[in-house]
Amino acid sequence: MSVRDPSRPVRYPPLATNALVGLVGGFLGYLTGLPDLAGVGVVLAGVGVAAALRSQRSPRPRAAAPVPLLLALAFAALACPLGLVPELAAGAAGLAFLVWLADDPARFPGGVGRARTTLLVPALALGIAWASSLILPATAAPLGVAAGVLVVALAALAYLFARPSLFDREGAATY
Amino acid sequence: MNGPGAPADTLRWRPLALLLLGVGSLLLVGAVVVRSPVPIFLALPLLLAAPAAAWGGPRSAPRLRVDRRVEGAGADVRVVGTVDASEVADARDLAVALERPPGLAPTATAIVEPTETAFRFEVRWTAREPTVVVVPPPRLVWRDAAGLVERAAVVDAEPLVVERYPPELVRVGAIRLRRTVALPGETQSTRLGSTGEFHGVRPATATDPPRVINWRASARAGRLMANEFELDRTGDVLLLLDARGSSLGPAVDERLLGVSRAAAVGIADSFLHEKARVGVGVFSEFLDAVPLSTGRGHRLRVRQCLLGARVGPADAPSERAAISVSRYFPPGVTTVLFSPLIDPEATDLLLFLRRRGYPVVVLSPSPLPLLAEGSSLPADDEAIVARMVALARRTRIARSWQDAPTVDWPDYWSLGHFVEMLRRPAVRRAG
Repeated sequence: MSVRDPSRPVRYPPLATNALVGLVGGFLGYLTGLPDLAGVGVVLAGVGVAAALRSQRSPRPRAAAPVPLLLALAFAALACPLGLVPELAAGAAGLAFLVWLADDPARFPGGVGRARTTLLVPALALGIAWASSLILPATAAPLGVAAGVLVVALAALAYLFARPSLFDREGAATY
Repeated sequence: MNGPGAPADTLRWRPLALLLLGVGSLLLVGAVVVRSPVPIFLALPLLLAAPAAAWGGPRSAPRLRVDRRVEGAGADVRVVGTVDASEVADARDLAVALERPPGLAPTATAIVEPTETAFRFEVRWTAREPTVVVVPPPRLVWRDAAGLVERAAVVDAEPLVVERYPPELVRVGAIRLRRTVALPGETQSTRLGSTGEFHGVRPATATDPPRVINWRASARAGRLMANEFELDRTGDVLLLLDARGSSLGPAVDERLLGVSRAAAVGIADSFLHEKARVGVGVFSEFLDAVPLSTGRGHRLRVRQCLLGARVGPADAPSERAAISVSRYFPPGVTTVLFSPLIDPEATDLLLFLRRRGYPVVVLSPSPLPLLAEGSSLPADDEAIVARMVALARRTRIARSWQDAPTVDWPDYWSLGHFVEMLRRPAVRRAG
């Protein structure tokens, strides 16, 4: 008996953000160095499937649209060789994916502009991380140290996700 | 995470945020396995996006003022509303969920037109039959542009009631009714509002609201004076709804009760507008009664009682209804009984009411239009069945005429016959 989210006309797939994620992701796939441009093909296939799912009217396929794109990007990132350019390309692909998410054709236009905070904070962290790997002298660290640092970071994130009330702020009792 | 014990208005991670967390974590593990930092650079935006979205959104449940009104006429129902979204960064990040009340069918896609600080919505429904229903306030949720986090808003909205009843009922209040009190003519009353003639001024009491204070008279007298009004009672009417279930099943019973409820609201409004006293009784298992009275406050009480009416068990005895009625209402009051008259027990109620001195007029919403909707028979068979059911219905109506004048009501959007019958007091009092 309820009408949830009064449907608004589904726009055609947003070409600009699809092209952006295809371009950046395709470059990441190219850097994998797989024969016959297989990396590029995987990423572009992921972009195509995701765009097709997103243009459906039914909410269930639309909700599943990011999955193939994420999997394709993850495959390309895991297959990439070491290097500053692949690191930069992987980070840019992650940001392009967030831009793609914000430009949802089922929602009101202008999502990229409204998602400034969601894009700028990861971009800032990414910039710091890439700059540190580019500029600061590095030595080969033991694998255990790196894994430990990552585990601590993940634990901090899990704590944050487990307590969404940390983002709450009580309203003023008086005005 | 989003546990069941979490308050409704706290921040909630959407499934997409959890997906990004999962994929990002797997990428970190993969980076350690393949000994390459490249997956970490892809994971970084994925892991930070949801906390950043939460940080950039409203930090507590936004309070949103919703102004709504009902438009349209007859079966066409349009609910138009505006949401003042100045408490959120952008109104386009609000998702609205509109609940459709029972008895109304959607006719068009809802329209939502957002700006940065407000948005307007319009919903179009069709009333299949006369109805009186409360439209619940819309549920509003702030959702970040990337769809990662959401937070329910606190909606501040006045209750909204959709009233659709046959247009003939607007003038039914002009009918002169029998009085059951020994106060002919104008009767002094302190009720408020535009109804009634001005009678005079009196010293104000502590319970008088400012709108009845006569400020000029107060200035002259040096103390607060209040206006008094006189109401001209035209008579009394009792609206009695038989809300017992029937052999037709709860779905049909509920719709028939909805039709009766709408007609009762229309009749009550019309008589109250003419300053008559109106009483209401809803008999399901027991009698839920609003005693005879008049005025604006009474209109709200009547509506509240009728909106709360629900279909009860079918085996509640008719005599109990008649006895309960006699406890609340004086004999002789003109009684309009709303009953589909489907089962014999329903017809018995007329007899018991008549024995206790209530002149009853029966308005019987016919179940035939509802039964025809759900039929899956071939057209020829359906025509035969319809004729047989119509004959049975006619027989039942004829039997009930032995106890009280009865109006069959197959066309729910017209009550011309019923109004004409009420205009003839001789027929009306035949019970």
